Amino acid sequence: MQLVETDILVIGGGSTGTGVAWDAALRGLRVVLVEKRDLTHGTTGRYHGLLHSGGRYAVKDPQSAVECIEENRILRRTHAHCIEDTGGLFVVTPEDEGEYPERFKAACLKVGIPCEELPLAEAFRREPMLNRRISRVFAVPDGSADSFLSTHATAQAASQAGAKVLIYHEVIHPVVEGGDGDRRVVGAVVRNMVSGEEFTVRAAMTINAAGAWAGKLAAAAGIEVKIIPGKGTMVAMNHRIVNTVINRCKMPSDGDIIVPVHTVAVIGTTDEKVTDPELLRIEPWEVQLMLDEGDKLVPGISRARVLRAWAGVRPLYQEGFSGQSRDATRSLTLLDHQERDGVSGFLTITGGKWTTFRLMAETTMDMACKQLGVTRPCKTADTFVPGIEQGHYWLGHRLHEIEEHRLQGSLVCECELVTRSMLEQAALKNPTVTLDDLRRDVRLGMGPCQGGFCTYRAAGILHELQLAAEPAGTAASLPAHAVTPAAEEPWDVAYLQSPSHSRQEVGSQSAPAAARLPAASPALLLRDFLQERWRGLTPILWGQQLKQERLDELIYLSVLNADHLPNAGDSSPLTEFWQFDTTPAEAHKTASETATQTAGEVQP
Amino acid sequence: MIDLIVIGAGLAGLTAALTAAEAGLRVKVVGKGLNALHWSAATLDLLGYTPPRRAPVREPWTTLPHLSLTHPYQIAGELRMRAALQRFLNWSQAGGLPYLPGAVEGENFMLPSPIGAMRPVYLAPYGQREGDLSSQQPLLIVGFDRMRDFYPHLLAEHLNKQGHSTRAVVLSSSLITQRSDANTVQLAAELERREHQIALGGALKSAVRPGERIGLPAILGLDEHTKTLEALAAAAGAPVFEIPTLPPSVPGLRLTTVLRSLLARRHVRVEIGMEVVGVQVEDGVVRWVETATSSRPLRHTASAFLLATGGVLGGGFQSDHQGRFWETVFDLPLNVPQDRSQWFRPLFLDAEGQPVFHGGVAVDNQFQPLDSKGGVMYRNLWAAGGLLAGTDPLQEHSLEGIALVSGAAAGEAAAAALTGGRQTNEAAPADIPAGASAAKTPQ
Repeated sequence: MQLVETDILVIGGGSTGTGVAWDAALRGLRVVLVEKRDLTHGTTGRYHGLLHSGGRYAVKDPQSAVECIEENRILRRTHAHCIEDTGGLFVVTPEDEGEYPERFKAACLKVGIPCEELPLAEAFRREPMLNRRISRVFAVPDGSADSFLSTHATAQAASQAGAKVLIYHEVIHPVVEGGDGDRRVVGAVVRNMVSGEEFTVRAAMTINAAGAWAGKLAAAAGIEVKIIPGKGTMVAMNHRIVNTVINRCKMPSDGDIIVPVHTVAVIGTTDEKVTDPELLRIEPWEVQLMLDEGDKLVPGISRARVLRAWAGVRPLYQEGFSGQSRDATRSLTLLDHQERDGVSGFLTITGGKWTTFRLMAETTMDMACKQLGVTRPCKTADTFVPGIEQGHYWLGHRLHEIEEHRLQGSLVCECELVTRSMLEQAALKNPTVTLDDLRRDVRLGMGPCQGGFCTYRAAGILHELQLAAEPAGTAASLPAHAVTPAAEEPWDVAYLQSPSHSRQEVGSQSAPAAARLPAASPALLLRDFLQERWRGLTPILWGQQLKQERLDELIYLSVLNADHLPNAGDSSPLTEFWQFDTTPAEAHKTASETATQTAGEVQP
Repeated sequence: MIDLIVIGAGLAGLTAALTAAEAGLRVKVVGKGLNALHWSAATLDLLGYTPPRRAPVREPWTTLPHLSLTHPYQIAGELRMRAALQRFLNWSQAGGLPYLPGAVEGENFMLPSPIGAMRPVYLAPYGQREGDLSSQQPLLIVGFDRMRDFYPHLLAEHLNKQGHSTRAVVLSSSLITQRSDANTVQLAAELERREHQIALGGALKSAVRPGERIGLPAILGLDEHTKTLEALAAAAGAPVFEIPTLPPSVPGLRLTTVLRSLLARRHVRVEIGMEVVGVQVEDGVVRWVETATSSRPLRHTASAFLLATGGVLGGGFQSDHQGRFWETVFDLPLNVPQDRSQWFRPLFLDAEGQPVFHGGVAVDNQFQPLDSKGGVMYRNLWAAGGLLAGTDPLQEHSLEGIALVSGAAAGEAAAAALTGGRQTNEAAPADIPAGASAAKTPQ
C-alpha cells in the first residue's frame, strides 16, 4: 500500500478542516486534508449562511458571543468576497414580550457587539416587508456568508501554502499504535472514493475535524466522543424577501432567523437531536414550523414560493451533557485526547459554528504545535485568502458583469446567471467529480428551476470537455489515472463566481486536464444531479414550485427520455450517497432495487 | 351568441374547439397563456410506455386493453381514438404541417431525443420523420457552437452506444445568425432567410459523407418550415431531419400556429391572456365564466363549456403548503391524496412515476366531469386533456395522444348534446374552406 508522510493529517473538508489545513500550512507544516465527498458536503454546505454578530448568543452564551464578534471582524477582512455586508436586525414581535430586549441590549454592549436601537420608521424603511406589529428593532453587524466559496477559498489558500487537499477520499480507519497507556494515532488508511485506490497517510498529528461525524471517527480510534447531532432544517424562499438578516429578539429557538443569501432568503432553523448525522430526512412539520414562524417576522411569507428545504447536522459537544440539543453550547470544543484519554497524536475539534471556524483552527493548531514542540505563531487572522480584492459580495455583481460584457448568450443557468465559461473554469480549476460539485462552485441549479434547464446543458458541456481532454484517437473512457484529483496543483477558485473574469480565462490554458474532470459518464452526472435536486424539493413541492417540477419532468421524461439512456441505471460515485441520503432505511432498499431493475431493462 | 366556450388553449382545447366547430357549433376559446406545446417535442406520442416505465410499447393498439378502465383511452375506446387521429392527420395536411406514421403503420417508432435516448412516438411531424431509428442509415448530428440547448457529441455518443452509427459536427453559429443570444425561435426565424440557408447548406454539404442523413436541432424555419428543410436537404445532397430541443419548442409553436389558423378559418376566436377567475353555476348548469383582464373582469355566457386547462403543468390544478390540491376553475373533485407526504417517491426518475401526478378529474364516457358520487357534475360541462384522471401522460409518453383523443371526444360529445345528436362528426379534407393551401406530401 502506498504511503504518504506528513506532519498534520486533517480529516474533514468543512470550514473547520480547511481552516486547520490553512493554519497549519501557514505555520510551515506539511499538511494532508482528506474529505470523503466534496468540500462543504457536510454541515458547512448545509447551513443558513449567517455571519453572526454574536447577538444571538449574547444573553445565553456570552463566551460564544465574544468569539462571534471577534471572528466577524476578522473574516470581513480575510474572506471579504465571501461575505455580504447585509447587517442584521433583532426585532421584538408581539410574542416576544418581557424583559429580554433590555437584557439583550445590555448583553450585546457588555461583550462588545455594536447594538443600536432603530426608530421603527427607519426599520420599516429598510425592510418594508417586516411585520408592522414589531415594537422594537436593534441593529447589529450580522452579515451573510457563502460557505461554499469561503471554504473553497480557504482550501486554495491552504494549497498555495503547500497543503494537499484531497476530496472524495474517505478514511477507512485511523492507524493506532502502541498498547495500553501508550497509544498513539499515527495517521489513517484512506480510500479514493472514485478509483477505489487505498493508501496510508502517516502523520505526526491527526486532527479530527469531521464535524457531526467526529464521534464515529473517534470511536474508530477507540475513543468515546459523544457528539450531540442537532439537526437543523431550513427552507429557501424564491426571493430575497429581506435584504438584512432578521432575528427574533428572544432566547434562540426554532424558525427565528431569516438570512438573505445570494438570490434567496433562508428561514432557519429547527434543532432536533438525531441519532445519525446521515439522517437528513425532513419531516413536513419542520417545513410547516419554519413557514409559520417566518410569518411572524414577515407576514405572508408562508404563501410565497419556496425553492427548497434541506437539513444540516450541528456537531454540538458538551462534556457530560444530556439535555436538548438547542441548549448545548455553541462554543468551540477542543479535545486533547492525550490528556483526556491517554491517546497521543490525536485532537478533536468540534462545536462552534461557521463564524468561528478560523478561531477553531487556530485553537487546534496552537495545541498541535505545543504537542509537536513547534513554536510558530498563527497567521490566519492577518492573511487574506485569494480573491478578496473583489470586495464584499453584492447581489447584482453577476448581472452587472453579464450586461457590461453582453454575455447573455452564454448563460447556462439563467436562474443563477452562470455562464458557460464559469462552468468550464470551475470544472477545470478544481477537482470535479459530480455536477453537484459545480453547484457548490458557481451555484449551478440553485435557482427556481432547480436544475431543469442547466443539468442537461452542464452534462453536454462537461462531455465536450471530457472529449477535449482525451488524447486523439483514444476510446471514450478516461484513462485510469484520471480518477485521482491532482492535489499537487493549487486550486483556483478566487474568481469562479465572476462571469467576466471566467470569460477572459477561456483559451488561456492548455488542453483540459482529464484528471480534473468527472470520470462518470454524462448520463450518470445528469441523473445524480437531478436526484440530488429532487431530495431537497420533495419537502416543499406545492403551488408554483410543483408546476416548475412538472416542467422539469416534461423535459427529462418526455423530451429527453433521460431515464432510457444506455447505462442509465449504472452506479456512480454518488449513487450510494443519494440513495442513503434520500430515503429512510426502509425505503432505501426499494430505491436501490428500483435502480437495479431499471438498469437491466431499459431498452429491449 | 356562443354555443361552446372552451377554457384552455392547449392541444386538447384547440382540438375540442376545432372538432365542435366542424360539427357546426359557434365556439370561442379562452386561454390563460401560451400552451404546453411550447415545451414539448410536438411529436404525436400515443402510448410510449405503460407503468412501470421500462421497455417501450411497440404496438399501442394491442396494449390499450391492458390499461386501467379509468384511463382516458379506455373511456374513449378504439373507434373514437382512431377517429381523432384521422382528424389530426387531416388537419396537419390542411395546415401544411403534415404528421406521418413510422415504417409500420399502427406501430410506434423510435426517434432520437436531444440527449440521444430513443423516444417512442406514434406520429411525427414531417421534419422529424427521417430520424426514424428503425432505419440503419448512418447519422450525422450537426449543432452550433453558441447554441446552449443542443450537444451533438453527447447525442452521437449515446446513439453509438445503442448501435446507431453516428458522427457529430459542431458548426459556427455565425453561419445562421449574428446574434450571440439567439434562442431556438429566433434561430428558426433566421433560417427562413435565403442567405442563411445557402451558408448552412454549403457547410452541411462539406460535412456530410455519402449515405448519411443529417440531424439538426429543431430550428428549421417557422411558417416556412417545409421549404426551409427542403432547401437545406437539396443543398446538402442528403436527407435532413430535426431533433427536438429544450423549450421553447419550435415544432410545438408550429403546431399551435397551424391549429389556430384552422380555427380562424372556422371563425373561432382564440383569446389568450384570459384566465378564468370566477364561474356561475345553478341547477346543475354552468351559466357563465368570468375572466381576469387588465381592466375589469369579463363574463362569458354560452350554452356549454369545455374545460381543458391541463393538470399541474398547464395550470388546471393548484396546490398549497397545507396539502390542499384543487381544480382551479370549477373546483371539480380530484382523486389526489390530500396529504403531501404521499405525493412523491424517493427517486426523481422513478419508473412508477410520482403519485401526485396520477390523479385528476373523473369523467363519464361522454367526457363529462363526475361528482364524488359518480353522477354528472354539470349538465353542460365537458372536460379534456391533461386534467383527466387515470393516467400520468408524461410517464406514459401519451401527452399529445390524450390531449387529442379526449379533446376530439369531448368536442364531439358537446356538439352532439347541443345539436340533439343530429350532427355527424365527419372531418374530411373537403370540410376545409377553399383557399387552404394543399400540403405537399413528403416522401
